[in-house]
Amino acid sequence: MIAMVDCNSFYASCEQVFRPDLWGKPVVVLSNNDGCIIAANKEAKQLAHIPMFEAVYKIKHILIENKVTFFSSNYTLYGEMSQRVMNILETFSPSVEVYSIDEAFLDVKGLSYIDMRMYGFEIKERIYRYTGLPVGVGIAPTKVLAKLANRMAKKIPKHEHVYVMDTDAKRIAALEWADIGDIWGIGRKHVKRLQAIGVFKAIDFVKLPLAWVRKEMTVVGERLWKELRGESCLEFMAVPNPKKAIGTAKSFGQKLPDLGRIEEACAYYITEVAEVLRAQKSCATYIHVAVYTNYHSTIDKQYSNRITVTMPIPTNDTFALIAQARKALHHIYKPGFRYKKVAVNLTGLIPEHYVQGNLFEKRSKISDSNLMHTLDVLNRKFGKTTVSSAMIGTRVEEWELIKKERSPRYTTQWRELMKIGV
Amino acid sequence: MELFFIIGKFPYFYIMEIGASGKVKPTKDRHEAEVSKQTGFPSAATHYMEAPIDLNEELSIHKDATFYVRVRGDAWKTFSILDKDVLIIDRSLLPNFDDLALVVQDGGFKVIRIPFDKTQETFVLWGVITYIIHHVR
Repeated sequence: MIAMVDCNSFYASCEQVFRPDLWGKPVVVLSNNDGCIIAANKEAKQLAHIPMFEAVYKIKHILIENKVTFFSSNYTLYGEMSQRVMNILETFSPSVEVYSIDEAFLDVKGLSYIDMRMYGFEIKERIYRYTGLPVGVGIAPTKVLAKLANRMAKKIPKHEHVYVMDTDAKRIAALEWADIGDIWGIGRKHVKRLQAIGVFKAIDFVKLPLAWVRKEMTVVGERLWKELRGESCLEFMAVPNPKKAIGTAKSFGQKLPDLGRIEEACAYYITEVAEVLRAQKSCATYIHVAVYTNYHSTIDKQYSNRITVTMPIPTNDTFALIAQARKALHHIYKPGFRYKKVAVNLTGLIPEHYVQGNLFEKRSKISDSNLMHTLDVLNRKFGKTTVSSAMIGTRVEEWELIKKERSPRYTTQWRELMKIGV
Repeated sequence: MELFFIIGKFPYFYIMEIGASGKVKPTKDRHEAEVSKQTGFPSAATHYMEAPIDLNEELSIHKDATFYVRVRGDAWKTFSILDKDVLIIDRSLLPNFDDLALVVQDGGFKVIRIPFDKTQETFVLWGVITYIIHHVR
């Protein structure tokens, strides 16, 4: 059996743990740059006229009228709270697959002799007691079914956020209950196609001939079909696969015309992604850099361009990557435009210890891993970019994302602890 | 790996914490007091070295359930909690009679002593206070 645990409205819940004055009230969290709503709690979702993913400036008045509290995203807080949840989950099963910041699969194969419903409740109670975060638990024979059981746990009130699909009769009932769009992995496009041939419920889907599914929905659809029939075929990954590409593309706080600041932003993003690269012990072969103007704008001239450069030697050295990215940026930058976004993406990732030298490059250009390790340790301890390349500059606040309503980093910064009393 | 069950009163029953028991702590690099580099003579402390005091361990800081909270004002002076103090709160603990606890009442935080009869007052427990950090300089 596999358990699927996920946190209810995770970002909003993280904010509410430290704000009891907001318990039971509508809360939403905004995207980076406060552009749009990316998360809403149950109370906010019930205010049906709040469109998710809508630009905030268009709906700000609706939020204020309905007394909805909104927060800029505080990923430092969410990340740390997520780590607590995952650590607690590890006390329940030796095999935990962290699927996303607020979801995990637990392999409970060896625990078949215990009462699964009690086990689910214990997970829910312990996570809530330790962290204040509410979770739902679905337990079923396969991943796709566990995901469905989790959905039932949440949607059907009598289950009280824990549902165990432990018999075939329950599996059939679940498939009769679930719409085809509720199934994990069936995208909107496929939903339309399936509905066109009269497949509305999950039960209709599993009755389709395998040959049709394989032909129309490839091997991905075939796996879903098998999983829904109780045959486990999605691998359990307790150890994550190393990423194949690492990138970031964030809008600036304001439009930037001059190369200097875009260079700084680019260096800053490279610094961020290089850290992730080192954490997974990989080196990058290619850097992609792209610049964009704001395509929503009607008054600006539009321009965007992208370029890929190859590193002389694959590396995870921040300074070497910044130097190449800067050269690349110079190729695609054109003066006379107001830029809204720069994107960097590292690809061709290979394990650190497989890197081949280059006959035509000096040894000294090969990354200095001790220096990088020292940087990482310092920045982890004293905060992001405590020590960094001077290319980042000192004008970060001029282009960095606007985070007007960010809550304190309650769990990672001694100066930002939750305050009680007057 | 074995799991032990003590089924108690719902919802508080316990499963042995695999993660907590299975982790091996890496030792930190420290200067070794073992052998003099100059003379090669072993230190007199050779057989007496111990790990230094680790506050996280002594205060049994349960990382996944511990939160730190800053106090403003002297409203809880009677509990020896003063302005600017930091409370260590362990949410994994079940409250016992007379424990100090952070609770929520009417949407606001309050520090109380857990009464003998828990039904007397209505509050939501946020966490049990285990230590008060008071800075004296």
